[in-house]
Amino acid sequence: MATPTDTQEQSSDGPLQRWTQSAIQNPDKVYQALFYAAMVFFLVTTLFPFYWLVVLAVTPEGNLLSGSFLPTVNLFGVSGTFPLPVPKGFNPGAFVTVFEQVPFHLYMLNSFALAVTTTVIVLFVASLAGYVFGRLRFPGRALLMLGILAISYFPPAAFVIPLFQAFAGNAPITIPFTSIPLFTPPRLLNTPGSMVLPFSALFMPLSIFILTTFYGQIPDGLEDAARVEGTTRLGALFRVIMPLSAPGVATAAVLTFIAVYNEYFFSSIMATSPEAAKWSPIVGGILSYQTQYTTQFNLMAAASIVGVLPVVILVIVAQERIVSGLTSGALKE
Amino acid sequence: MSTETGRESRRSGALVSVMRWMENLSDTQYAYLLLVPVFVLLGVVALYPLLRTFELSLFALSADFSSTTFVGAGNYVELFTGGKNRYLPGGTTFLPEGFGLGALLNSALVVTIIFAVTSVLFETLIGLGQALILDQDFYGRRWIRAAIIIPWAVPVVIQGIIFFLMFNSNVGFLTPPLADLGLLAPTNTLNDTASATFIIIVADIWKTSAFMALLILAGLQSIDRGLYDVAKVAGATKWQQFKLITFPLILPTIGVAVLFRSVQAMRVYGIIDTVSSCTVVPSLSCMVVATFTTREGTSAAIAFVTAAIIGIVVMGLIVWQGEDAI
Repeated sequence: MATPTDTQEQSSDGPLQRWTQSAIQNPDKVYQALFYAAMVFFLVTTLFPFYWLVVLAVTPEGNLLSGSFLPTVNLFGVSGTFPLPVPKGFNPGAFVTVFEQVPFHLYMLNSFALAVTTTVIVLFVASLAGYVFGRLRFPGRALLMLGILAISYFPPAAFVIPLFQAFAGNAPITIPFTSIPLFTPPRLLNTPGSMVLPFSALFMPLSIFILTTFYGQIPDGLEDAARVEGTTRLGALFRVIMPLSAPGVATAAVLTFIAVYNEYFFSSIMATSPEAAKWSPIVGGILSYQTQYTTQFNLMAAASIVGVLPVVILVIVAQERIVSGLTSGALKE
Repeated sequence: MSTETGRESRRSGALVSVMRWMENLSDTQYAYLLLVPVFVLLGVVALYPLLRTFELSLFALSADFSSTTFVGAGNYVELFTGGKNRYLPGGTTFLPEGFGLGALLNSALVVTIIFAVTSVLFETLIGLGQALILDQDFYGRRWIRAAIIIPWAVPVVIQGIIFFLMFNSNVGFLTPPLADLGLLAPTNTLNDTASATFIIIVADIWKTSAFMALLILAGLQSIDRGLYDVAKVAGATKWQQFKLITFPLILPTIGVAVLFRSVQAMRVYGIIDTVSSCTVVPSLSCMVVATFTTREGTSAAIAFVTAAIIGIVVMGLIVWQGEDAI
């Protein structure tokens, strides 16, 4: 086997030289070492920010601004800066204060309610569309899919101005480019409607593509059998095809839930003030710590940890679904 | 069929007739009927606002703020000639007024493009590295994969707070060492345009590399493993295997992933709003949000230009990929 040039390090005495010698004999060893080095690097870079949140959250408020988070250590007479931040004291009380100062649990409930509602709407509408695109052949199919795809690419900023005006409910909606009034919409700002509607439209395309793939894979025979048994076409979709595609439905549900929980743009604009009573989701909860309690960094960190826990649990439990959904759905998009 | 109607009729007459009407539709009619909810939702929340945004962008506020007048492409002309800059917050310009770093970073269009290009470039490189690791079989792979995906699932606002807390001038321990290297401004870091842009790019790379990794991983796993056996027999090194087999075969996947991510990166707003502010790092979406309650026409014109840029990128993707894009 050829000797790779990158193993020819400068020889030095001791274990390094021995390791280099054996690595030249067996290049696979180098790849192994590189592999583990890269793995550790990626683990540290992805997880370190969470560690920093924990460090800040448990540091008592009085100690936050005094001294450095990087302690000076004295090791065998050589003093240096410890490369990892460590907490200055220990005060788990921040995780309780976080719910007292601002009703953070209410913001989280709002987020959950918005995410669940959107997920149910998206699953229902995308199921119908997935059935159509996955199982029926009809003229205009490719063009319609292209249209849905194109809409999903547009930035939310291109929708927000008219939606905000419509949800404010001050003026009647007119047909674009004319002044013919259609109807005056109800005031939806600060209600779930003003967020669920844009979320549903924004995150539906991904679910449509995932469900199209899954529904298209169910053999025709099963649907025919259900129809012979006497169900209607819609019954066959909801009683046979959807249960048989449970993994696909779960994938679409998990991805929609996470997407809504993570959304920022409409969440911060449609809830005009960050108050839990006005249906502001966690965006409002966390921002109110950033704007009202500007020096209580431990509370910001604690709130972030509490807010991130649901999605971390979801990722650990449902990672197979997330991986398959993102790769099958997003690559199609 | 008779037993079906017999059983159904015990429910209600209207429902049965609707059901029977649906059963007798042709495939095409049935398809379009089932798509009605999609059309309604996308029509109300996407198509109508898009058309209306374009309409709004053709009107300008009169001098006394009481009415709007039709100006045609006037808003766009003013936007590109600098006439609209006075409405943008914090001395931001739409197009750059010079070619120095300060002038470039003061331009909404340039900042957005710099952000998109830089973050997507590094996300692709890091995502490729992560994907190559996740493609191997090793003990604990499931947990490593979960750890790598977690940043992707973190809400934007929490991602913003994390980086705000890491680089904040009071508690952010990362600012002094990086300022010593000359990468960040030593004081008032998050209000310095260049530093804040840098931090926001790093934050985006941290969050979205995992998404790239998963897309590239899908490409990696579709490669026929037999090719590697052949390469081994032929005596190819790992690097040659990567260069001659892996890379060419995942290149199309990377291409799609890069374009897809670029389009998403052009929308950047939330992370800027949390870490810094829209006056410090002026992205296009930021400008739309900052002006839409006071200067509708200007805001709509910026929104439509953003949409048009993204539209051009997407058209490129569809033309390049053809039918496979769907």
